Amino acid sequence: MATCGECTFFFRVPENADDFEPDKGDCVTEKRDEKGTYWLSRPVFVSTDSCTQFQKK
Amino acid sequence: MATMAPAVEYKGKVIDFPFENPEEEKIPDDELHEHLAKPSTERTKRLKARCRWKHASAGEFVEHGVRAGIERMRLVTEAHKASRGKPEVTRRALILERCLNKGTICLQTDEKIIGYHAEDPNYFPLYPELSYMNVKDYLMSDYSPQPEAEAEAINDYWKPYSLQAKCEQYFDPIDLTRMYQVSTMEAPTFAHGYNSIIPPYETVLEDGLLKRIKMAEEHIKEAKAELAKEPWDGSKQLSWIPKIDNWQAMVIADKAVIAWARRYARLCKIVAENFESDPDRKKELMEMAEISNRVPAEPCKGLKDAFQAKWYTFLVCHGIERYASGFAHKEDKVLYPYYKASVIDKTFQPMTHADVVEYVEMERLKISEHGAGKSRGYREIFPGSNDLFILTLGGTNRDGSDGCNDMTDAILEGARNIRTTEPSIVFRYSKKNRPQTLRKVFNCVRDGLGYPSIKNDDVGIEQMKYYSKFSMNNNGATDEEAHDWCNVLCMSPGLCGRRKSQKTRSEGGSAIFPAKILEITLNNGYDWAYSDMQLGPETGNAEDFKTYDDLLEAFRKQYSYVMSLVVRAKDVGRHIETQYLQIPFVSSIDDGCMELGEEATHLSEQPNGWHNPITTIVAANSLVAMKKLIYDEKKYTMKQLMDALKANWEGHEEMRKDFKNAPKWGNDDDYADTIIQSFYEDILGGEMAKVTNYSGGPVLPVGQAVALYMEVGSRTGPTPDGRYGGEAADDGGISPYFGTDTKGPTAVLKSVSKVQKNQKANLLNQRLAVPMMRSVHGFDIWHAYMDTWHDLNVDHVQFNCVSTDEMRAAQREPEKHRDLIVRIAGFSARFVDIPTYGQNTIIARNEQNFGPQDFEFMNLELGQ
Repeated sequence: MATCGECTFFFRVPENADDFEPDKGDCVTEKRDEKGTYWLSRPVFVSTDSCTQFQKK
Repeated sequence: MATMAPAVEYKGKVIDFPFENPEEEKIPDDELHEHLAKPSTERTKRLKARCRWKHASAGEFVEHGVRAGIERMRLVTEAHKASRGKPEVTRRALILERCLNKGTICLQTDEKIIGYHAEDPNYFPLYPELSYMNVKDYLMSDYSPQPEAEAEAINDYWKPYSLQAKCEQYFDPIDLTRMYQVSTMEAPTFAHGYNSIIPPYETVLEDGLLKRIKMAEEHIKEAKAELAKEPWDGSKQLSWIPKIDNWQAMVIADKAVIAWARRYARLCKIVAENFESDPDRKKELMEMAEISNRVPAEPCKGLKDAFQAKWYTFLVCHGIERYASGFAHKEDKVLYPYYKASVIDKTFQPMTHADVVEYVEMERLKISEHGAGKSRGYREIFPGSNDLFILTLGGTNRDGSDGCNDMTDAILEGARNIRTTEPSIVFRYSKKNRPQTLRKVFNCVRDGLGYPSIKNDDVGIEQMKYYSKFSMNNNGATDEEAHDWCNVLCMSPGLCGRRKSQKTRSEGGSAIFPAKILEITLNNGYDWAYSDMQLGPETGNAEDFKTYDDLLEAFRKQYSYVMSLVVRAKDVGRHIETQYLQIPFVSSIDDGCMELGEEATHLSEQPNGWHNPITTIVAANSLVAMKKLIYDEKKYTMKQLMDALKANWEGHEEMRKDFKNAPKWGNDDDYADTIIQSFYEDILGGEMAKVTNYSGGPVLPVGQAVALYMEVGSRTGPTPDGRYGGEAADDGGISPYFGTDTKGPTAVLKSVSKVQKNQKANLLNQRLAVPMMRSVHGFDIWHAYMDTWHDLNVDHVQFNCVSTDEMRAAQREPEKHRDLIVRIAGFSARFVDIPTYGQNTIIARNEQNFGPQDFEFMNLELGQ
């Protein structure tokens, strides 16, 4: 199964960040509804199983 | 064509009232409000058009897609399970840390102030640690968190740990059942989780959280040294242990908040570099990233910093660490140093005044889409609005000088431009306030926003000094600090600033319903009209009361029973909060908690106890009618009255007319006012003041109805003031009953000014005629009225300035009146989102026109 680390929406957390952990990243996705566009970010890891929004890098 | 106010003959001259803005002559009366919104920029126009309003009507959310999220419930539960065995305050810090580190964060198009407290901007979080009944209610609704089975399991997990379960065990089941009726009293906080707070924003903006962490760490170091001192004295040294736990929890909380803000910084940068194509927006996003990297970790240096740091603090204090309603702060004072840096000195984040107004508009829209996971009951009592978001302006500074500044003006200008129901504004009226700011206050009032709601600055200051005398650590407000007050929610002042502010609603808030208490007083404590159960002690039936004093004494007993019960419920809740619902982030930003190693729910330096009598005037007018017609004139017997009430006046129409025509409050009528003054001062205030709360101070009445006057009115049977059962009760705290104030606006003030003793605050609703207020004389009339109000030492007044024509038009075609705002009581609401029952109560309020006798009393000079 594909993992978050392979996804285009995975952005690795920099080592100097307060919430840094090895292989941790931000999953940032763009959403659009009748009110407009917004972006959500949630923490994931390289090895986290991918979700339905997966897009290969 | 718009209606112009008719000419008035005054002091031998004919005074005409042409419109101040002649263009308004062309705007029909029934669409005026749709012409008043003027967002100051294209950005705020777009933001308003796409605002994710969280308004409710009759308990239902108005906008499609609004619902409860599951993320906070899930994270709180995970952290609670993972932290077993740790000190409770540490567990609370770890719960917050998990929410901030693992929760989803959100950024929306166009916004410059960022941050939200749920996993999607259409959602709001729930708080299973507070009330399991509240969560259960959501689970049974269309707004249930998903997946529902998981949410149900989480709620079941929390049931034994919840504030509600922990408190219920200390109450007799009969008392609990009586409280849950919401008939003579509001249900206790532990049953619905409703809460309020004044966060000490000042420490975050002035110090930054890194400094707060350093302070806590130094205290821990010193405390550990004290703990290790020889020879050991357990009677003293053990007291360092809870302090160390508190300081350590503060450190965990503050580090988590800094890291969370920096996650937002990272999100802005990622969106700028990977998703955004507009170069101007990319630049904005990079600036927003830079700001969130710096604040709230470091002190704010400019106004953009201050707006952002304040917003993060608001989210944590009101939505993430724990739910709390409100937006309590003295915003112009908090922000002015940064206004000065950015606009006047231009030393950091240089801006123009117009840029600041745009920020104010953006902040108002952020508040408008902030979701609160309130219980259904609380959604029902704020119809047409979101939650009680209320900020305070004006007043005086610590040295007694005028507290208005250019930031005050920017906030008022932004509010008038963007025209949203939230946040409401309280203006502290002082004779020292500068005219240019008073004019902006008037502009908002005249435009029908329903705010600023006006509070008497001098009354508030004296009140802070009074409560200070009861401080249990002898560290209440100093005379200088007494100037630093803001309204906690709608009506009640509380200290604001770096310490001594109110941290939980168990200190003050919640309601008691005198009209229903009078009803059960007439029926031996039995509620025949709504709950059909015994709601109070057996104090005799109406026919047993041989004198008016007998009746009053029976009422006093019923009222005193309820008062002690409701404050006991709040204090038991407070006790449990100190044990299991600590708020370490709030502790970390309060100078008192930081200095003393205390927890914010536990430490009380400035008592601020109050409770809200709602439906007082229905009860008071009823007492007047009974005294006159039964005890004084003996025109009717009590038995005749009771028969008529049980029949809802049916078959007793002539008798009803007599009771309805008995003297009423608000007409400067000595007979009515003497009885009612005594009712307020000796019974409502006098009995309440006998109760001492957690903080060691007296509890005093804050009469303010929110929309409970509708809900509780519908539960209250027919009353001796001539009201039919189920009709709405009085709409304020000291406002005359709808349409019964027939002697003009200054007669209302004269009546209201007679009540002075044993009161904390009382809400006065007045409805002003639109044509006169929009005339060339509008400001002068209002200003003279306000000075008169101030000189009569009245605590509060707020205004509706909207025509009946326009409200009727909105009832016919609601889709054409989205910007029509009205004042309910303590909050403003979008008229078309209020149920018809409530709309009609606004229309029924007497529209006050000023006449020559009013001008005379106000000593007003009117030129042509």
